[in-house]
Amino acid sequence: MDFSRVELSADDAAFAAEARRFLGELVTEEVIAHDRETGDNFHEGVHLALGAAGYLELEWKPESEGGFSRVRSRIWQLEKRRAEVPWVTWGTTSMIARSVAKFASPEIRDDVMRGVFDGTVRMCLGYTEPEGGSDVATCKTRAVRDGDDWVINGAKMFTTGAHNCQYVFLITNTDPDAPKHKSLTMFLVPLDTRGIEIQGIRTVDGDRTNIVYYSDVRVPDKYRLGEVNGGWTVVREPLDAEHGAVAAADDGLADVAIMMHQAGFMAEAADNVAAVVGTPDAGGHRGIDDTSVAYRLGRNMARIEASMSTPSIFGRVALAQAMRDVAPELMDIAGPAAALPIGADGGLDDRSEYVYRFAPLVGIYGGTLEVFRNMIAQHVLGLGKPNYAAPVGKKAS
Amino acid sequence: MDRYELRRLDYSLSEDHTDLQAAYRQFFKTHSDIETVRAAEATGFDKSLWERLCAMGATTMGLPESVGGDGATLVDLTLVAEELGRTLAPVPWIDHVVGSRLLARLDALDSPEIVAGTQIVAIDPQQVAPTGARLIPAGSVADHVIVRDGDDVVLLGFAGRPVKVDNIGKLPMAWVDPATADRRTVLASGQQARAEYQRALDEWRLLTASALVGLVEETMTIAAEFAKTRYTLGVPISTLQGISHPLANIAITVQGGRGLSRRAAWFLDNEPDERPELAPSAFVFMAEEAAKAATMAVHVQGGLGVSAEAAATAYLVRARGWALAGGDPGATAIHIGRLVADRESAAAAAV
Repeated sequence: MDFSRVELSADDAAFAAEARRFLGELVTEEVIAHDRETGDNFHEGVHLALGAAGYLELEWKPESEGGFSRVRSRIWQLEKRRAEVPWVTWGTTSMIARSVAKFASPEIRDDVMRGVFDGTVRMCLGYTEPEGGSDVATCKTRAVRDGDDWVINGAKMFTTGAHNCQYVFLITNTDPDAPKHKSLTMFLVPLDTRGIEIQGIRTVDGDRTNIVYYSDVRVPDKYRLGEVNGGWTVVREPLDAEHGAVAAADDGLADVAIMMHQAGFMAEAADNVAAVVGTPDAGGHRGIDDTSVAYRLGRNMARIEASMSTPSIFGRVALAQAMRDVAPELMDIAGPAAALPIGADGGLDDRSEYVYRFAPLVGIYGGTLEVFRNMIAQHVLGLGKPNYAAPVGKKAS
Repeated sequence: MDRYELRRLDYSLSEDHTDLQAAYRQFFKTHSDIETVRAAEATGFDKSLWERLCAMGATTMGLPESVGGDGATLVDLTLVAEELGRTLAPVPWIDHVVGSRLLARLDALDSPEIVAGTQIVAIDPQQVAPTGARLIPAGSVADHVIVRDGDDVVLLGFAGRPVKVDNIGKLPMAWVDPATADRRTVLASGQQARAEYQRALDEWRLLTASALVGLVEETMTIAAEFAKTRYTLGVPISTLQGISHPLANIAITVQGGRGLSRRAAWFLDNEPDERPELAPSAFVFMAEEAAKAATMAVHVQGGLGVSAEAAATAYLVRARGWALAGGDPGATAIHIGRLVADRESAAAAAV
């Protein structure tokens, strides 16, 4: 057990200082404004600069292949959060690149990876379907073999970043009659292919995602990843990482649960609100001197700290649930000015209202809270597979 | 606070930790089964269990070596507290350990009987000091009672022990009025007294939070086992999300309460001024969640769960009573709120 400040070598300390300087200068007011305006959570200039400076490759590669050491990797992660580097599209790109490196045909693999490292190639996830839900194996988007090509028809939701990406990591159904985990084939589909239509959808937190339609999209076989009908193997690896199912190292140099980055906005908003109520107003009155304020702030701080101490798949639920529970109370404590958007005249810029709008998404994407409660119930508590009503139109046997 | 500071987040237990945990888990499993717990309800105290526990070194472990202790860390003590809570052990170990540690810090621990546990120390664990007569959780079995009296921390003694009052936590609780004490020694005054007493309050909250973690985990486990073997419409109720998801939520509470307690203990051990809000936070979180979780565990077992004989109800009443022994948890929440607001407003003003 260890929660101490990490002692850095002179080299690592210099790296930390340089990372903070570099990222601080890179994420300008203009970058932040662009993000608010577009909801992209991606900035091409920033991304290309990170690639040009070699940071994308250093971050992605393991230390044994020349990437960051564990400690530098953690420094880099924390400094990116501090600087508020847009993160969504690099997150999907970096995750998908694991499958590309392992499963892509040699014909495309090296080009894609080169582009990933220099920032010119970005990739997004084509998992969820309009009629599907969190179960990525429920897939109606069809890919049909036609000579050396495949022809794809269907639609995908939540293809976040598609309009800033070159490829989509697409789950298709290639054998509708097979059991669902043996019916899937993965493709890395170039997004400039004819027949692909990207429609933007703004979400309540201010971000943008997309629905993407595939109409007779013709893709050469070289863009297939893994075996035909073997897509589950290809998709599972990054999915395990997304779900936090990969065992954490015990050097304490990583988040203890996924969604910790997102939960950081909650912790920061709570600190901001604490500063607001701890500061005297024009009349010399501090909000915290009202015991109802102190009580609610303390109780919610306790809930935040508990959620941030919760590991692995438990933490995934705890963090999103805490964001949902805590955000309305933080807004109440801050008072009516918490209703104003960031940058508003007379606003507090405490961000509690952002956390309130963001929290629903954090409990949905990356596998809903119910998916994780099912996993805990079944695999940790041994309660068995959940029982569902028989599918509509079929009678229970 | 700098939320991006480079610190380790290593919750792992060492081999010594897991050995200690296993030893106490086995001890309480063997010597504090549910019959033992029930049998001690009238007095709130099992003397024979206490003597065995003391013989195992549980009272000396947390004391500094200078007074004959073993210098265990608070992290170590949270591991013991969790096991104690798991079996609802009817012994005033938390109060005694916190009280005797306070005596040691105030240079007032010169009794080998206290170190060995043959004399028991009780403490008033309320965040806001009461005046006049007050309920002391271990009052009826204590040889010494530590309370705040104005600006002083005082050690009280009574010719006859205060009388036990029935209470929902089945604690050896008693009304204690400092004015009627037969012995009264001022241990410390002013700023030092306040700081050291606050430390004792934080330790009491930390260890009570850990005990509640163990308590909640055990009642959850019993409820989960029940749900696996109880059928409705041909399926185990454990496979229905109306049952499994509330149980999963309790499992999440256990993990969070445990992680926070251990992190809080580490900071009190190593950097006590850095995160003073964490130990009270573990308590406020578990005080609220323990009652909810214990109620759900009863609910899962339905008509059988509500029986006074069911283990679930033994957990239900203590989940409330053990937390409430420290006074309204809201007073602790207020303490946390003030600590954080002072820290954050000072940090904001410094920018």
